[in-house]
Amino acid sequence: MKVLMPYFHRYRRDVWLALLSVIVLVFATLWQPRLLQVVMEAIIKNDQQTVFQQGLYLLGLAVLGIIGGVVNTIYSARVALGVATDLRADLYAHVQSLAYADVEEFSTSNLVVRMTNDINQVQQIVMAGFQQITRIPLLFIGALILALITMPQQWWVILLMMVIILAVSGLAVRRMTTYFAQTQQDIENVNTVARENLMGIRVVKSFVQETHEIGKFSQASDALTAVTAKIGYWFAILMPAFFLTANLAVGTAVYIVGQNITTHPAYLAAITSFISYLMQILFAVINGGFLMTFASRAFISLGRIGEVLDKRPSMTYVAGDAAPVPGDVTFNHVTFTYPGDDHPTLKDVSFTLSAGHMLGIVGATGSGKTTLAQLIARLYDPDSGTITVGGVDVRQLPEKALRATVAYVLQRSTLFSGTISGNLRQVEPDASPSHMQWAANIAQASEFIERLPQTYDAPVEERSQNFSGGQQQRLAITRGVIAHPKILILDDATSALDARSEKLVQEALNRDLKGTTTVVIAEKISSIINADQILVLDHGQVAGVGTHSELVAHNAIYQAIYRTQKAREEVPE
Amino acid sequence: MNDLGNVGKYYWHYLKRYWRGFIVSILLIAFSTWCIVVAPTYLGRAVEQLTTYLQQWGSPATRGQASLGSFHHTLITYILLYLGDASSIFIASLILARVTAYSTGTMRVGLFRKLQRMRVQYFDTHRDGDILARFTSDLDNIFNAMNQALLEILLSVAQFVGLLLVMFPQSPTMAWITMASTPIALIVAGVVMHKASGAVNQQQDDIGRLNGYINEQITGQKVLITNGLQQDSLKGFAGYNAKVRQSSLTGQIWSGILNPLMQGMSLLNTAIVIFFGSWYALNGSLSTGAALALVVVFVNYAQQYYQPIMSLTSLYGMIQLAITGARRVDEVRQQPEEVKPVNGQELTAIQDGLKIDDVRFSYLPGKEILHGVTINVHRGEMVALVGPTGSGKTTVMNLMNRFYDVDQGTITIDGTDLRKFDLDSLRENVGIVLQEPQLFTGTIADNIRYGDPQAGMDRVIAAAKQANIHDFIVGLPDGYDTRVSDEQSVFSAGQKQLMSIARTILTNPRLLILDEATSNVDTVTEARIQAAMDNVIQGRTSFVIAHRLKTILNADKIVVLKDGQIIEQGNHQALLAENGFYAELYRNQMVFE
Repeated sequence: MKVLMPYFHRYRRDVWLALLSVIVLVFATLWQPRLLQVVMEAIIKNDQQTVFQQGLYLLGLAVLGIIGGVVNTIYSARVALGVATDLRADLYAHVQSLAYADVEEFSTSNLVVRMTNDINQVQQIVMAGFQQITRIPLLFIGALILALITMPQQWWVILLMMVIILAVSGLAVRRMTTYFAQTQQDIENVNTVARENLMGIRVVKSFVQETHEIGKFSQASDALTAVTAKIGYWFAILMPAFFLTANLAVGTAVYIVGQNITTHPAYLAAITSFISYLMQILFAVINGGFLMTFASRAFISLGRIGEVLDKRPSMTYVAGDAAPVPGDVTFNHVTFTYPGDDHPTLKDVSFTLSAGHMLGIVGATGSGKTTLAQLIARLYDPDSGTITVGGVDVRQLPEKALRATVAYVLQRSTLFSGTISGNLRQVEPDASPSHMQWAANIAQASEFIERLPQTYDAPVEERSQNFSGGQQQRLAITRGVIAHPKILILDDATSALDARSEKLVQEALNRDLKGTTTVVIAEKISSIINADQILVLDHGQVAGVGTHSELVAHNAIYQAIYRTQKAREEVPE
Repeated sequence: MNDLGNVGKYYWHYLKRYWRGFIVSILLIAFSTWCIVVAPTYLGRAVEQLTTYLQQWGSPATRGQASLGSFHHTLITYILLYLGDASSIFIASLILARVTAYSTGTMRVGLFRKLQRMRVQYFDTHRDGDILARFTSDLDNIFNAMNQALLEILLSVAQFVGLLLVMFPQSPTMAWITMASTPIALIVAGVVMHKASGAVNQQQDDIGRLNGYINEQITGQKVLITNGLQQDSLKGFAGYNAKVRQSSLTGQIWSGILNPLMQGMSLLNTAIVIFFGSWYALNGSLSTGAALALVVVFVNYAQQYYQPIMSLTSLYGMIQLAITGARRVDEVRQQPEEVKPVNGQELTAIQDGLKIDDVRFSYLPGKEILHGVTINVHRGEMVALVGPTGSGKTTVMNLMNRFYDVDQGTITIDGTDLRKFDLDSLRENVGIVLQEPQLFTGTIADNIRYGDPQAGMDRVIAAAKQANIHDFIVGLPDGYDTRVSDEQSVFSAGQKQLMSIARTILTNPRLLILDEATSNVDTVTEARIQAAMDNVIQGRTSFVIAHRLKTILNADKIVVLKDGQIIEQGNHQALLAENGFYAELYRNQMVFE
């Protein structure tokens, strides 16, 4: 709730109008039985004048109620949308200010859910809040007071009715809560079987296990069916029980009026309005119960949003200008552990890479190759040791300077939806067509881009799915080189390229980006065979540094990797 | 309209078996409605009797006759009527709750059964998420609508009809007055609902676009950060967010306004009934008691009169969703199923071999992928398929155990067309190892014996040993009972691959198709997988779809595919000597000293 307050304050005019109109609406609803009572008294007295006058009041009151309801809806919607959009914008801006480690801590899919579903929940509860949550207590209190004014000595009838209703719903809710938890579990089971079946449909079919799968699914589904039926049975009790209780209360009230009619003859005219108030109380209690379950879901969402907003970025940058720094890199006894992990992923890594040189990194899956590269781009900070770029500790570099110096191309760094040129201009805002062509030539991308009908303005679909894997990687490299970075990191970025294209990319890099330091992570030895320096990583430690010929001669791990890729001797060169 | 007809048929198919339940429910609901509409007349009568009592008691002459006896009787009837209402609604609700739960359950299992019979093509052309949504949100919408709307609709209709039937005999004039505002209410509701559905569609479109943007940007957060693009991302977001705000505001107002409008109409209607009712009561020839009773009864009716209209309009959105849901589930029900030959031949062994003869195939009409492919395989031979992405390697595999059928040409085993074999028998004899190993929730042992759930532990262990994964499994705390689940991926891609190989070994297939894993596995792990694969291939007729040439140097025959045609064929030495595409590919992939 604290999270929402500043936003309500921002829309205070709409908030007040929504509240005011709800009061008008409640007044119109509650005052009608009151006027009815006056009309009834007038009928008894045969007072035509009053009947006519009160009838006009009644019509006016109804029109007032309609206006109140409409105005209330409009302003509730304005508040709800204002709060939700602003909250979403602030949440999004906050996420953009977080360090990558923070984003990973929440997990991307989780953050997306918070910005979409959770915000939507909040929007709905705010809307419902100004339409219902304010109305229901007002209706309840108003109806209660008016009922007591109408027939003071019947307070215990009202009380008894409420106690019975609350007791019945309490009993049912207790049973249903356990069933609801069970339902969640059962739904998950059903979904798991269905999802795995869809993903593995070829496995199912090739092993002829369709019948077995149907059996598994039926079992999960039948459990879900049984528990939903049970919930249904409990619901079946609730509504009739509520209405029966209310009507019994009405019967009791009328009976009491009858018994005391000679001492309180005026109550004769009050019966109908008293019944109306009893029914209003009943509706308020029922709707209140429904809203409470609805609200509790929204409060969970609100909590999850607050959690993100309260997260302080775990990494900050120094202020300073955006000029790039020279492209030499050093690692000085760097140890790094991922947040939440017990064991360090990199242990005491040291090396020096001169500007303009090429560094190759090899090692088994999980040996820390990508982690090392990510530290250069400062996606994380090391536990101990220092990393310098251009002779400066990366933690002392302004963000813009670091980004202008280092370009990082990932294995799956797809472009964003839009156009090719749009993506390239995000990195190099003033890129001319010839400049884009220059970058695409390096990445061996120009030949396929220029065959597209709209060439550089060709559309890019979501997840770049209108391009093949090899084309995506070439586009990503184009984006990586377009800003003339001082340091270019290719993190398995050519894995989907055939060997010839890969060779051409490397030749072009040597020719056109002569002064650029390149860091190449690769599975294939052939990708890094010409590097000035190759770093062999093994379980997060440097197991060897040297050129290809040095490592082949002396390094056991390098030899093992090499052996699996080496051609047999009889191959003609 | 034809569309709605299909939806109707869908519900009819699943609901017709509950016809007894429906008839009983309808009778009960009719009874309860009778109780509800008749009860107010007893309240009116009670007021009338009290008035008479008061008048008799008021004058000394008649005080002696004054009695509350009839008043008490009226009250007892009144309460009995509501007791009848509550108990019949309770029983009807029980029946309908049961019908709803069990019919949705049958729909769910029916959908799953149908999916098991369908062709692989459907799964290849539809996203998993979209198919899964039919199990989750679509069936959910159907359930919710039946759960809430079924009873509500029956009740509303009954209540409406009941009210009309009971109002007119009592006072036609008052009945017309009560109904007077209905046309206005209906017009208002129609206009608002029409506006709302347009506005809500626009809102959903904009929300969809915004969510798509958020999803794409946050998934690419690493790219955003490493390129310093956070501010650009914010700018893009602001545009989408502003659009959503605008269209949601319109959507929320139009969809939110219906309920207060209808409540307001109900208030207005009650006011009209009181106004004209009391005027009519006073100017008519009624006694005071009867006049009071008339107003009491009709105020009650006026309040009830709008209930059905209000519930039906508030259910409108829910019913819409249920119609869409049924349409989407029914769409799956209409999909073609796998073609199974009648009295298909049993496949017991491969004697001579397999022949792919001039096969042409296309996934989409007019876009042929394989243009006349011919491959001969003798029993016990290993054939490797190589070629660039999109050359048709995987397509050949898809044809082998009839995930797809050929357009032209034939695939035969010992001279018999694949389509003549019993489908299950064929697939039991053709084992595949897929590129992406897909395991199922359960224990490791369950996964290895997936193809033969009756297999004993000895066979499971033997298969695991052959697949080079036994030592790893026994090293786990729970051994073969270790749980596999998709949430906690404790196993590496390589380990999963080995388990899936063990799974295939256990079924002892006659013909083996291996689609080699490409990424996520480093070259050392790859060597382990290679050794396991060599074990499986031993003595079997096999096809290997190779991405790394290292693995297929020993193949009896290497087939090079390019753009759906065979361009080279022969063993490793022969192809190298040919110095064509294969030789070039080979030189590019290997490191040479």
